[in-house]
Order: sequence, then structure tokens, then C-alpha cells
Amino acid sequence: MGMFLVFGGAGAAMAAPADNGVEGKTFVIGTDTTFAPFEFRENGELTGIDMDLVRAIAEAGGFKVEIRSLGFNAALQALTSNQVDGVIAGMSITDERKQVYDFSEPYFESGIQMAVAKNDDTIKGYEDLKGKTVVAKTGSEGEAYAKSIAGQYGFTVKSLDQSATMYESVKSGSAVAVFDDYPVLAYGVAQNNGLKTVTDKVPGGSYGFAVNKGKNTALLAAFNDGLAKLKADGDYQKILDKYLANPTAAQPTTFLDLLGKSFPALMSGLKNTLLVTIISFAVAMAIGLLAGFMKISHNIVLRGIATTFVNIFRGTPLLLWAFMFYFGLPQLTGQPINIWVAGVLTLSLNSGAYVAEIVRGGIQSVDPGQLEASRSLGLGYGKSMQKVVVPQAFKMMTPSLINQLIIMLKDSSLLLAIGFAELLYQGQQIYAANFRVTETLLIVGVIYFVAVMALTKLANYADRRFNK
Amino acid sequence: MSASPVETQKPAKITVKGLRKSFGANEVLKGIDVEIAEGEVVCVIGPSGSGKSTLLRCLNKLEEISAGHVVVDGFDVTDPKVDINEVRRHVGMVFQHFNLFPHMSVAENIMLAPVELKKATKVEARAQAMKLLDRVGLKEKADARPASLSGGQKQRVAIARALAMNPGIMLFDEATSALDPEMVGEVLQVIRDLATEGMTMVLVTHEMGFAKEIGDRVIFMDAGVVCESGRPDELFGNPQQERTKEFLSKVL
Ligand SMILES: Nc1ncnc2c1ncn2[C@@H]1O[C@H](COP(=O)(O)OP(=O)(O)OP(=O)(O)O)[C@@H](O)[C@H]1O
Ligand SMILES: [Mg+2]
Repeated sequence: MGMFLVFGGAGAAMAAPADNGVEGKTFVIGTDTTFAPFEFRENGELTGIDMDLVRAIAEAGGFKVEIRSLGFNAALQALTSNQVDGVIAGMSITDERKQVYDFSEPYFESGIQMAVAKNDDTIKGYEDLKGKTVVAKTGSEGEAYAKSIAGQYGFTVKSLDQSATMYESVKSGSAVAVFDDYPVLAYGVAQNNGLKTVTDKVPGGSYGFAVNKGKNTALLAAFNDGLAKLKADGDYQKILDKYLANPTAAQPTTFLDLLGKSFPALMSGLKNTLLVTIISFAVAMAIGLLAGFMKISHNIVLRGIATTFVNIFRGTPLLLWAFMFYFGLPQLTGQPINIWVAGVLTLSLNSGAYVAEIVRGGIQSVDPGQLEASRSLGLGYGKSMQKVVVPQAFKMMTPSLINQLIIMLKDSSLLLAIGFAELLYQGQQIYAANFRVTETLLIVGVIYFVAVMALTKLANYADRRFNK
Repeated sequence: MSASPVETQKPAKITVKGLRKSFGANEVLKGIDVEIAEGEVVCVIGPSGSGKSTLLRCLNKLEEISAGHVVVDGFDVTDPKVDINEVRRHVGMVFQHFNLFPHMSVAENIMLAPVELKKATKVEARAQAMKLLDRVGLKEKADARPASLSGGQKQRVAIARALAMNPGIMLFDEATSALDPEMVGEVLQVIRDLATEGMTMVLVTHEMGFAKEIGDRVIFMDAGVVCESGRPDELFGNPQQERTKEFLSKVL
């Protein structure tokens, strides 16, 4: 630290570099969903060391940042596919990562610690782990460290995606210990997450800000410049102290407090859930009607195309397509894709395949005599379908379509994997910061239930109204 | 087939020449030649599976025709250039199971074709539907749903619907077979009225008594061919073919 203090005087004299190639621009920065104290939400706002740091640096450099809270792996995939310009996510600088990303100067020296449940007196060190299971975060330093000593001490490492779920596993007893970055653990313990640290900190790697290899060099340079400046004038240390030196002791709050605090974020999540469901369902209906008619067509080519489409999307997981559209497609086309577009594509193509089958089944369930009667009156195929067959088919299809709509509403939660801010995602964000997993999930569950019930009632009402 | 006096009096309304129809490898019609004059009522009888329905459905091309020629009201329906929808407007068809449109009212069933084919405005079509319903004795059912009608009423509505485009030819495929016995009479009466008015009709029927009464000519079909054909009194009273005799001994 002394080094920086010496620098202090010189740093204060430094003027913002003229024409640094970033001024006035806006950069999209990807980050973890919640990696307290580096990034987490407080009253709906993203905050934490990384957030304060990147915002202060942006201000110093005269540019803007738009933060995308995607989740650690998703943020890195988004970086690879140029969906974001940079990633700051408490990410350790490793040789492996250096192959694909360019890193800034280290902005934080981390380390690994092991924690166990607060009331657990049996595990005091690595020796007590024999035959047990521990958890660590997928792709993290903690995971690498745990794996490196797993053989020596005879324990198994299970990888999970989020700190909050790791801590839950330890509290619930499905794992005995968690390996995590020490600042994260320290912050969590201070928040009453029900854990305690039992080992000394193993000096670990340093955290860095990353850009895609060879890309955004100006942004990287601006980050380094800004970091040096913040370190020089002491703002850097202030930020660290704010979160680490004296973590805000968590006041135990009531369930009602939790409900009140999380409600706005959850409602915005619900709004996105409903919106993406409704848009996707409209698109799925269009796709499904087209494919359904193609499936009953006499044209073998059309039939083949529709059958292939249906088989592909019924035969593959929804999540795969979410990743494919959001991460895969941009790498193929070189064009970033809007998360709403990716979400709607995923849901509507998947659902469209099912709707196609519903449409085909509905039309085939109409007595062929109906079409014959209409054709024998001199009405063409199209008119006969439109006036006679489809209205009857639609009546039969309605219950299945309502069912499909409800499946889609629930399936839309899978979009959290690409960082789409829907209801469950918002719930994750909340419990990742306050560690009250069960209660938050309960609230989210009730909201889903109410939404599904309301939608079912609405759809049934419409069914009665229009399909008398 | 010897030409009967009736056939030569008036111009042919339907001409079938060498008609063949196969479903896959199964040849169901094996060369049919029939000529039907304007205003003539022809009843088609024969055992189940002999191809009666298929013959009828070839007349308005509800079935693709494998070979031969069918000329209906001056249109060669086997000519791919002919607008089959146009031909069908000249040919009304009544089905065994009525095939009324359940999602429309009785009047809407009848109005559908005239309105959709732009032959009449809604108001005109409605007025015409009421006239047709009056003719079949169901005026008061105009706004009822088909589901609320009895079988006999349904079939009378179906006949009214088939008449909505003012066809010159009516085809009936076992129009009374799905009806309870007490309802057969009301439907036959409507058909009888049409015959009196001079409608050209082809009826596939199992009602031998009715065929005898109403038919100008009866065609006996067996195994995809016209086995025997003639005036009802001749065919029923003095059948020439062994198979006709056998069939009639079973059904009469
Ligand atoms: N769509 C079809 N596909 C395949 N075979 C068919 C089809 N329609 C009819 N057939 C066959 O053609 C033959 C003649 O059938 P059709 O319905 O014309 O007989 P029918 O004389 O009307 O008999 P019924 O008195 O039982 O109504 C039967 O063997 C039947 O199985
Ligand atoms: Mg038949």
C-alpha cells in the first residue's frame, strides 16, 4: 500500500488523458449475477467492489458503462461472442484465460478459504474431509484449489454455479464444506449466511478485468489508467474498505421485510416473464399453424420440412437453443443478438413444434366428411379449411393450446441461464445477495403459481367466450 | 346397355364412359358406362362394397378418377383444366351422415356457399335459406344449431343446403340409411318432391320400395361393374342376371 501512497502526489497531478479512444463512448460490461461483495444487488441496484470500481474508472476516463449481470460463465461466453465489450466478475487471471482474453493489471489480490456450517464442529481442517463431499464454484479458483488437494485428503468436489446455492448445500448437509474466494466468504459470513471459515487463506490469484483477445484495446488501456489513478488518490482503498474492512452486519429481517424489499425486483421479473411468454406464444402460434398445415399438406417436400422442424425442436432441450441463439449464433454471424430476440426465438421455436402437432391433430380430428361437404358445395380447399375445418379444429385445440401456453410460461424461467431478467432470475439475484434462499424461492413460487392460475382462468374464459 | 326410351327423349345431363377407379392396387370401378338424361331419377342399388358410393363420388370428383370420362352438365370433370369448384356448384350432394357444419346455425349452413362464393349478399342468402327451409318444412329451425335437430331434420337441412346453389343435379348417398325408421318418410317425401319438380337425381339407396316408386331407372351394381340396368318394374319384376336375382332375393 505504501507504494501507492508515494504515488499519491504524482497521481493527483495527472490530468485525464486527452483522446484516450474511449471518451464519450458506452461500453457493455458483463458481470456475474451475484458475487458479493464484488457484485450483488442492493435494493435492486447493482453494487459491490467491481461495480464501484468500474464505474469510478469510467467516470475518470470520461466514458460510460452499461452493466449486464449475466452470471459468470454466461458473461465469459458473452465476451467470447462479442455480446459484451468487457467482463469484470471477480475473475482470476489465469494462463488458460490469457489465451482467449486480454487482462488488465490486477485490481484485487484474492485467496481461497474453506468454510463449513456454523454449527459443525467436526470439520476443522482439510484432514477431516476424508470421504466427504465439498462444493466449489464452477470454473473458479476455489474449484481448482479444492481439486488439487482432493486426492491428497480423499474428498470429492462437486461444482455448483452460484455462491448462494453452494452455501445452501453446506447448510443443508449435502456437502460438508465450501471452497470460495475469501472476500466472498467473509462477506457472506458477515451477512449471517450460516457458515464459518475454518482454514487460513491460501494466497490465490489476482482478479483482472478482461476484454476479448486483441479487441477493445482502448477500453483496456483506459481501465488500467483509471485503476492507477484510483489507487493513487486513495479512492481504490476506500472502495475496498467499504465492502471488506467493515462489512455491514446483517440485521436479521422479517419475512415481511424480505417480501417488501424484493417485491419491486420480482414484479419487474414477472413483467418480463409475462411479456416474453406472450410474444413468444404469438410467434409460436404463427409458426405452429404454418408447420401444422404443412404437416397435413399433400406436398411431400412441405411435409418433410415441417416434420424435420418438429422433430428437431421436440427432440432437443430448450436450454440448448437458448445457449445456441444467444452465444452460438453471434459467433457464427459476427452480429450481437438482443437477449429478447434470443429468448423469443428459443421459446417460440420450441413451442411452435408442439403447436404444430396440436394443429395437425386438431385438423385431423375433424370428421373428413366436413371437408367433403364443403368441397361438394363448390368451396375451394382454402375456403373450406378457413370456414369449416379450422373453426372446428380450433375448438378442439384450445385446451391443448392453453396447456402449451402455461408450459411456456414456466419454461421461460430457463432463460435465466442466458441472463434474461425474468422472475426466477430476479429471485436468484435476491437470494444470492441476502442468502435467504428458501424464503425467496417460496415467494417466487407463489408468484408463478398465481400467474399460471390467472392465465389459465383468462384463457378458459376466452375459450368459453369465443368457442361456444 | 340398351338405351331406354327415357334416355333418348332429353339431352344427357351426365355421361360416364369407361370409368375406372382404383384405390392402390384395388380396382373398385372396372369400367362404368352410364348416361343420365335431364330430369331423370336414377337409383343405384347393389351389395355393400360394389362401388356405388365411389361411382357417385366420381361424378363430382370427390374421388380422383383413374381412367375414363365423366361429363356432368357439359363439364368434362376428368379434364384437369376444368374448374372443379364450378362444376360442383351445379351438383348438390347429400351424405349418409348429413355432414352439417356443427359450428353454424341451420340457416348459416345453407347460406355458406352462396355468401362465400359471392352469389348473394347475406340478406339475399338468408331469404333464400328461409325459402329452402320452408320447402323442407323446417322454417322454424333456421337459428337452431344442427346438434339440436333429429336425424330426419338434419338430413332435410342437408338437402336444403345442397339446393342452395340451385344445382341442376342432386346426388344422394344412402340419405336415409342413418335414420331411425320413423324419420325415413319425411326425408323421402322431400326427395319425392324434388323428383316431381324435375330435378335430375342419382340416388344410392337400400330402400328398394322407394327405388321402385321414384326411379325412372334402376342400376344394379356388383363388383365394380353395372350388372344390370332398366326400368324399376322390369328390374325388380323380371331381373335378367343371376347376380341381380340373388341380390334381390336377399333384400326384398
Ligand atoms: N378411400 C378409400 N380408400 C381405399 N379403399 C376404398 C376407399 N373408399 C372405398 N374403398 C373401397 O372401395 C370399395 C367400394 O366402396 P364403396 O364405398 O364405393 O362401396 P358401396 O357400394 O358404396 O358400399 P356400401 O353399400 O357399403 O356403402 C370397397 O371395397 C371399399 O373398401
Ligand atoms: Mg356406400
